[in-house]
Amino acid sequence: MERKLREYEERRAESVKLASKLLLASATTTPRVGGVDEISIHVLDDKDDIEDLAINIDKMASDNPRWDFFHSDAVQVRDSDVVMIMADRRSGHDPMDSNCNLCGYMLCDQLREAQKLPDEHSVAFRGPFCLLRSLNLAYAINGAVNLARQLGIDHTVKMSVGAAALRMDLVPYKCDIALGFLASVTEKNPFKDLPRRWAEYNDETLQNRLIHRLFPVFRSIYS
Amino acid sequence: MSIISGEELLKGGLDGAVKLMAVAANTALKFGNSKLKIVAIGPEEFQEMADFCEGLADVSPLFNRDGRSFVDLAKKDTRALLIGAKRKSVYNFDCGACGFRTCEELNKAEVVESVVINGPCCHFVVYDVHMAANAAASVAWYMGLHCRVFQTIGGAASGCDLIEDCDFSIGVGVSYQALDPFFDRHKYWTEEEWDEHFAREFPSFTRRFMGAVE
Repeated sequence: MERKLREYEERRAESVKLASKLLLASATTTPRVGGVDEISIHVLDDKDDIEDLAINIDKMASDNPRWDFFHSDAVQVRDSDVVMIMADRRSGHDPMDSNCNLCGYMLCDQLREAQKLPDEHSVAFRGPFCLLRSLNLAYAINGAVNLARQLGIDHTVKMSVGAAALRMDLVPYKCDIALGFLASVTEKNPFKDLPRRWAEYNDETLQNRLIHRLFPVFRSIYS
Repeated sequence: MSIISGEELLKGGLDGAVKLMAVAANTALKFGNSKLKIVAIGPEEFQEMADFCEGLADVSPLFNRDGRSFVDLAKKDTRALLIGAKRKSVYNFDCGACGFRTCEELNKAEVVESVVINGPCCHFVVYDVHMAANAAASVAWYMGLHCRVFQTIGGAASGCDLIEDCDFSIGVGVSYQALDPFFDRHKYWTEEEWDEHFAREFPSFTRRFMGAVE
């Protein structure tokens, strides 16, 4: 590759890593209900780590008939430069004790005794959770979103990333719920203008199908 | 050129700011096509909520604290943006976070009604509402307003029927006072009261060596 273009590519990749540190700061300092620490933010900025995550999300699509959209999510994960995972390490076992009823149990002690969903492939998060605690995830995510908008970094949020991160043990021990934030610095936002069957018709599949598979045949016939 | 008084400017600015906060809340990033209900309230409603919170003061220290400050906020032209939604899932993620295997099960589940919140709620609709609240608060912050997201405003507003057709709601309080009225509210407790509460909640803090007999 031409030196100037390689330098640009390196700096582009570096810029999004730098931004991810600031996004982490913004996500960390957003307010927390109750003011208790419970959210941790984990950054994947290595291409291999991101690919592993994308593969796992793709595999999970067959675990539940409703999870067809995981195929498209996997492509978007692969296209992002940085993946941030926001994990909640309290809401699964340490409710707020404010008896708020968001979870549908009038008393927090009832939630403590409630039967958790079984550890099965078709279950992403083994609920029920303390919602008053886990809504802090929304604050953390929006902290990153808010700064990303100002920095001009393309971004989106994904439930599938959190579900896969839990299965891959990318979050602290005893975290039972997590959500994903994807960031990208490219000239075309990889999270918008997606064709309906994005898992079938994306940059990678088109490259594979047209350039790697069809064109060599075309070339050998007509050259 | 006509002269506009400072008070008029501040009030007009607050009115405009609340509208822009509503816009930011509506356009905030969401997990799906959730229907948010957005309402703005003013000083009279703060007084109403203060009375509601006073009724809950004995059972909830949080409502006690905020109820006391709402009385003062009502006198100082404070506004709040209420954001709420219905509890049901519109996402079809079947993620299990709510404790039900599928979204249909959650949507058909028996509603548990309480004074301020009806559960069980879909996690992602709660996330959407709170991301919207955070977006509204950040807009207020950039415009230089004092702001704070209050569970108690959401709860009291539902209790006073200020926001209708919602299972849960959240409030973002905004103020143009010279000093931030939402934080460091020491005036609602005397020092003695504070010492008394602290000694009751953390008795071991002032205790001598563990197990030592005087």
